[in-house]
Amino acid sequence: MAIIKAVAMMLVIGALIGLFLGIAGKKFYVAPDTRVEDVLAMLPGYNCGGCGNPGCAGMASALVEGSCTVDKCKPCKADVKEQIKKYLAEHAK
Amino acid sequence: MNLFTLFLSAMLINNIILSKFLGMCPFMGVSTRTSNAFGMGIAVIFVIFGASLLSYALYYLVLVPLELEYMELITFILLIAAFVQLTDMIIKKHSPTLYKQLGIYLPLITTNCAVLYVAMDNITQKYNLIETIVNSIAVPAGFMLMLVIFATIRERLQGNDVPKAFAGNPIAFIIAAIMAIAFTSLSGLV
Repeated sequence: MAIIKAVAMMLVIGALIGLFLGIAGKKFYVAPDTRVEDVLAMLPGYNCGGCGNPGCAGMASALVEGSCTVDKCKPCKADVKEQIKKYLAEHAK
Repeated sequence: MNLFTLFLSAMLINNIILSKFLGMCPFMGVSTRTSNAFGMGIAVIFVIFGASLLSYALYYLVLVPLELEYMELITFILLIAAFVQLTDMIIKKHSPTLYKQLGIYLPLITTNCAVLYVAMDNITQKYNLIETIVNSIAVPAGFMLMLVIFATIRERLQGNDVPKAFAGNPIAFIIAAIMAIAFTSLSGLV
């Protein structure tokens, strides 16, 4: 009998805490910054380092920060460059 | 025991870090800069105070009537984990800089044994509600005091010429030991 009581109590407490944390999670939700990942997906991905950044991931975060321009990317095709420029203009903070 | 004596002995004489050697992980990890140590101290005060009061209420309102006192360890751990999760969310929302600085040490408050120690200590010492509140503020306040003092010493140390064999963490452990020796002299106070 005692074990059933203990299990039931743990279930109730767990459910209450889960509910509370779920509500708190909605209330304190912070939208993650997906811009770096999006830009990285558009870059060619050769990691050539021609732009002066450590690979395409470094280039992507530099682009989002604004400390680098797309024109420095040599293997990037012209239309993709336009696409990235457009994306960064649209999603500026 | 009067409340002031309780406060003083919990904060300084039976200091959680220097005489009980609990909560050493953030003491070593987050003490490289004073501002981080301060933020960590506030977070720990919030967590210990909230988690201790909740566990106190849970013990006397739920576990004792149900005769499930032996479940205190697992239920307290559950409460502490939930409370740290909440703190994590609040800090992430309101202070992203502090969130970045604390890094992994913020979720690791869950495994800070100081938190569980205070929650269990309130029960085993049979404190009443007022004493529980005083104890739950005094212990993390002592933790924060030591963390900030230690961080200021380590900040000063960065400009000094430490022998290569002691550079970094070894010298920090030696300083912690000297601080612990210094604080044992307070043991005759009460």
